Amino acid sequence: MYRAAVIGLGRMGSTFDDEIQQGGTIFLPYCHAPSYVASPHTELVAGADLHAEQGAIFAERWGLSAQHIYSSYRDMLAAERPDFVSICTTARHRAAIMKDAIEAGVKAIWAEKPITLSLAEADDVIDLGARNGVAIAVNCSRRYSPFLSEARRMAQQGELGELLQITAYTECYISHNGSHAIDTMRYLVDGDVNWVFGEMESDEEAAGDEDLRGNGYLAFDNGVRGYIRAMSTGTAPWEFDLIGTEGRVRSLANGTDTQYYRWVPGGLRDEGLPARAPFPLPLSIQGTGLSVIADLVNAVETGSDPHCSAEDGRKALEIAIALRESHRRGGRRVDLPVDDRSLRILSVEIGGDTVPARVRRLRQEPVVA
Amino acid sequence: MPGKVFRAAVIGLGRMGSTFDDEITRGGQFFMPYCHGPTYVASPHTDLVAGADPHAEQGEIFADRWGLERGQIYADYREMLEAERPDFVSLCTTARHRAAIMIDAINAGVKAIWAEKPFTLSLAEADEVLELGTRKGVAIAVNCSRRYNVFFNQARRMVDEGELGEILQITAYTQCNLSHNGSHAIDAMRYLVGGDVEWVFGEMESDEKAAGEEDLMGNGYLAFDNGARGFIRGTHTGAAPWEFDLIGTEGRVRNLAQGMETQYYRWVPGGLRNQGLPARAPFPLPTHIPSSGLSVIEDLVDCIETGRQPRCSGQDGRKALEIAIAMRESHRQGGRRVDLPLADRSLRILSSEILSDAVPARVRRMQSK
Ligand SMILES: NC(=O)c1ccc[n+]([C@@H]2O[C@H](COP(=O)([O-])OP(=O)(O)OC[C@H]3O[C@@H](n4cnc5c(N)ncnc54)[C@H](O)[C@@H]3O)[C@@H](O)[C@H]2O)c1
Repeated sequence: MYRAAVIGLGRMGSTFDDEIQQGGTIFLPYCHAPSYVASPHTELVAGADLHAEQGAIFAERWGLSAQHIYSSYRDMLAAERPDFVSICTTARHRAAIMKDAIEAGVKAIWAEKPITLSLAEADDVIDLGARNGVAIAVNCSRRYSPFLSEARRMAQQGELGELLQITAYTECYISHNGSHAIDTMRYLVDGDVNWVFGEMESDEEAAGDEDLRGNGYLAFDNGVRGYIRAMSTGTAPWEFDLIGTEGRVRSLANGTDTQYYRWVPGGLRDEGLPARAPFPLPLSIQGTGLSVIADLVNAVETGSDPHCSAEDGRKALEIAIALRESHRRGGRRVDLPVDDRSLRILSVEIGGDTVPARVRRLRQEPVVA
Repeated sequence: MPGKVFRAAVIGLGRMGSTFDDEITRGGQFFMPYCHGPTYVASPHTDLVAGADPHAEQGEIFADRWGLERGQIYADYREMLEAERPDFVSLCTTARHRAAIMIDAINAGVKAIWAEKPFTLSLAEADEVLELGTRKGVAIAVNCSRRYNVFFNQARRMVDEGELGEILQITAYTQCNLSHNGSHAIDAMRYLVGGDVEWVFGEMESDEKAAGEEDLMGNGYLAFDNGARGFIRGTHTGAAPWEFDLIGTEGRVRNLAQGMETQYYRWVPGGLRNQGLPARAPFPLPTHIPSSGLSVIEDLVDCIETGRQPRCSGQDGRKALEIAIAMRESHRQGGRRVDLPLADRSLRILSSEILSDAVPARVRRMQSK
């Protein structure tokens, strides 16, 4: 049993699962505390948050006594010596907290996305983590989706033939939830991006550091081409379309439907027709969070990389930044890696994060005793 | 109705001039009669009075098939124009000679031209034909026939009447050479979006191909003046053959597998956080399915009478070519955004159909027997 602690006791640290009524992209337990509580591999031993309100709710909900709740995560790391640490603050502090956790000797980090704000921060964390042999997973959780993993298995075992195209209709800010979208494209294609072309929502947005929407064209090293539309997607909400010479998988409406197409005889000139076949269902579906923990346990014990590694987190950020660079340069193709490591995107979640949303709500509506 | 019956002649008596419809055993993309000879025979507005082709074999087959006398078949189209004084002329040679023949036909005083696609090889040729055609008041329709396909018409009606909300995205998976069948793909994108392209980004299949003038495959990103964005994949499309996906804020229409299926999606309540789910609804079927070819003739007759532009006009043909060339320019310029219109009118693409057009395919087959 590994001792697990959560830093940042807000939605993803604690209560996000309450918002989810339907499976698909997410299966419960999904967020950090309920996963540690449910996992046979871990014991939830502590939490840390700057805001006492968050700590009180967390302690009560997950059965911790008040002394295991800390306002300083450094105190927590020193006193509790956790093996696993979850980093569920917004991205503003993630790099600093990850480095402190690594130096405090944790074995595994389960970090929220986006991994960091700047490329330099990500470089630092990855470098320090590698030197200390810490397993770092980033919660781009579609890598742990049974449907998308099955799609990737089909791709890897040749059931889709040669892969040609990945299209994502994923309305989002390109760092915040773009981290999910871009990572999923990389995951499904099983390749790396050599260069990109991007168009951002406006010249003003592209010029600044704030998180932003945009579209892009991605050239993968294995020949696949990607198109991402992160501007508004209307009636195509969160969709991935993986097209190969022999088959095609579409994940629709936020993962609530997965479709598989393959050739059958027919067509205008008998060149074949793509027909929908049943998508191969998984044998069992476990909570997404439990899959992350099992993956990290395996990484700790064998030294393997987590399915969604820090490197994957950095690449998603780097691709988002390259898309914006492409726009900044007047619309031209940008090669990866990006040279200027000081580039960053202020992920949209850090807007207004001095006081977390729940604490703001609590303060507006004082609890009547 | 029927009113005046127009004298119609076909120049180029090969597949599209005469026998293309024999290859088609299923509707969707095409409804019969589709190609020129049989359409003129079937239309109440036209009498097929002549044909011209330098290859005598083609002329004989055409005369037998469509009930013309040998005297109505000409080796030299100029002689035909002179002797027969047709009102309608179809241009079914390959694109190599199209501009020159159109100019001769306009100067010979025809009222309407039904031209095959691509419109011309170079932009300068297209400019010249359009300038002359406008001066002489000749109605010119280009056979990018999806504009005359009732399913596409229905999709466009839904756009025009706001049933899809604001149009956001058009995606085309259309494996093709960018001038040859790219003319269809690009024109269908413009038609569905109901807007014009302001700039493009393109990636061609190789640097070598992009450097030359031969027709080529490529992918591109299109920025429309009404805010919609387009993605076209003209490189291999595997299990997604000839597909158009039109996405709006309120609805979505997908035209699949070469027009063999058309799907309509709209919002229903539901979804991960009750933000709605796109559900498939029956695509509104037309009350009747007109033949593609007869629709072109109806359109041209109306243009002659009213002076308006055909649904797929010479301007539309030029724009499809210009967009294809701009995508190639984007690649040539190292992958950068290219604005339209293009300044250099000498640019051209040698549409793949002209490759070995000295002897037509059917004549080659007959000679090899
Ligand atoms: N993977 C997913 O599916 C998913 C879903 C939602 C959010 N997220 C990510 O989770 C992260 C957190 O988002 P949230 O919605 O839970 O935000 P939140 O505001 O609800 O929670 C963040 C908490 O971190 C605390 N915090 C900030 N600085 C701290 C510090 N130095 N030490 C200890 N605690 C600190 C805040 O007080 C707050 O309680 C974000 O990075 C977001 O992008 C991921």
